[in-house]
Amino acid sequence: MTRDKQIINYAKGLLKISLEDGEFSEERASAVLQYLEKNPPRKYASVLKEYLKLVQREVANSTAAVEHAGELSSSAIEAIKAKFSAHYGRKISVTTRQNDSLIAGLRVRVGCDVYDSSVAGSLHELEATLS
Amino acid sequence: MSSVIEQIEQQIANLQTKTVQSNTGKIVTIADGVAKIDGLSEAMYNEMIEFPGGSIGIALNLEEDSVGVVILGESTHLKAGDEAKCTGQLLSVPVGKGLLGRVVNALGQPVDGKGPVESTESYPVEKIAPGIIERKSVDQPLATGIMAIDSMIPIGRGQRELIIGDRGTGKTTIAIDTIINQAKINDVGLASGDENFRPVYSVYVVIGQKNSNVARTLGVLEAADALKYTILVSAPAADAAADQYLAPYSGVAMAEWFMSNGMDALIVYDDLSKHAAAYRQMSLILKRPSGREAYPGDVFYLHSRLLERSARVNEDNGNGSITALPIIETLAGDLSAYIPTNVISITDGQIFLETDLFNQGIRPAVSVGLSVSRVGSAAQIKATKQVAGKIKLELAQFRELAAFAQFGSDLDAKTKAQLDRGARIVELFKQPAFNPLPIEEQVAVLWGIQNNYYDDIDASKIVAAANSIREFFTTRKEALLTSIRTKAKIDDELQAELKKAYDEWKPSFV
Repeated sequence: MTRDKQIINYAKGLLKISLEDGEFSEERASAVLQYLEKNPPRKYASVLKEYLKLVQREVANSTAAVEHAGELSSSAIEAIKAKFSAHYGRKISVTTRQNDSLIAGLRVRVGCDVYDSSVAGSLHELEATLS
Repeated sequence: MSSVIEQIEQQIANLQTKTVQSNTGKIVTIADGVAKIDGLSEAMYNEMIEFPGGSIGIALNLEEDSVGVVILGESTHLKAGDEAKCTGQLLSVPVGKGLLGRVVNALGQPVDGKGPVESTESYPVEKIAPGIIERKSVDQPLATGIMAIDSMIPIGRGQRELIIGDRGTGKTTIAIDTIINQAKINDVGLASGDENFRPVYSVYVVIGQKNSNVARTLGVLEAADALKYTILVSAPAADAAADQYLAPYSGVAMAEWFMSNGMDALIVYDDLSKHAAAYRQMSLILKRPSGREAYPGDVFYLHSRLLERSARVNEDNGNGSITALPIIETLAGDLSAYIPTNVISITDGQIFLETDLFNQGIRPAVSVGLSVSRVGSAAQIKATKQVAGKIKLELAQFRELAAFAQFGSDLDAKTKAQLDRGARIVELFKQPAFNPLPIEEQVAVLWGIQNNYYDDIDASKIVAAANSIREFFTTRKEALLTSIRTKAKIDDELQAELKKAYDEWKPSFV
């Protein structure tokens, strides 16, 4: 089934309201949800699903999801934050998750972009080169 | 072995510092070889997309928040949620002489079980055709070995000549004959040691055909020893629509290598009707708007950008060429259908094959009235022009008068003579499949009809007479045939020798 263009545009409008100085604001998003609850639009569930998708994408674009093997110091986290904020020209927050399958090194995901400096990633690339 | 160790060591050395950046997305839906992917924000049009398990796709629909990717090859192992990755590369295929004699799929991977393809270079599958400045007019012949075509609808190197007709009218046979003839000419030319000889390498692209047909074609080429000059790009009916869509572009990329390296190539697309159908299938799954006969709006561009890549380039650009023989299958002889009219308008002429002629035993079933070569006699050697200049007109007149043939006794002498001559020409042009004739033999046979040597032979015996004279020339007048081939024109000396030869042959033919 094709997505309704009106719903998409409406959800985009809601996302725009949820941004403060170009960044996603949880307070504004809560206010938007409260308003929607009181004044449910046509196809309310579809609007909410579309809004959720846009919010998830927006959050992913401003979050550096860092996977690491071993310890990761707070200074390294700060460096990652500063580096990616400068690179993308927006404030990037950092979430961390330990992933020992990386063997050593880091893998950072910001939106669609993945930066892999892990040993597992390099070994995978080596495997691909040899095959 | 040492090179592999060095490669591993180098990779290990890189491990410490290397950060690999990639743009990724996730499969949202996947059906019929087409995946919709969320993400891939940096994907380019026609970029290769990598999937788990080494599968490759091409990004064809770039939408606001998703990308439509057509998956090449096997896609059954992919599922929603799988990660897809941009490669930053356009799809390319291996090229070079290492592919000659091989059967490859649309990605240039071997499918003939003869091991890996020896190739160090690759060319992009999609490429802009040579521009006006790089081109040169078509003036060198490309002999098909089929007398009816070489004498009446000559094809030149760099030309695009459509072969069109209903199913089972001998379209593929004409294309295969042409490939076999190139191989024969190459053998003779390369053996002669002539420095100016330019061999023609062939690329035969199979689109949406039965695997049994592909095997038969392969067998014929092998039997004629033509495979060594031929690359067979196979995307049979069992392959995904994406592979069938891609195969002609892969084939022409392989042919472009020959052209850009100053060589001549011949490419056969068998057939573009099925190619259009495969593209229609892909487009409908990609939810692109459909137009006439449910084909997408850019179906003309699909074929025009493919056929424009066939060209004759000038000396500054290597002097190479790609000659294209696209094939179109019509339904009930309908030339005015969508795809046939499109391709007719793109090409430099067409060879129309008629079911009625085929069923009457006139093979190749070339319809003289509807067939044309827009390059014309510029691509014909002078000897053929001299002996076949009036034949097309005579045959066209015969076809018009043929309706009156049944009232033969009531016709005036001139009309009857025209009918008799036409009937003899028709018989003379009958030629068995996979038996192309060298141009010098064609000239020798046609000289006979031009000089009325067949007039007193019964029409039913013309085929036997033509066989007899060819045998006579090849066994007893080989020097004369060589002279025709090398001089490429009939001067007074050759004229006298031909007359002498015919006078010598005539009493021996019973």
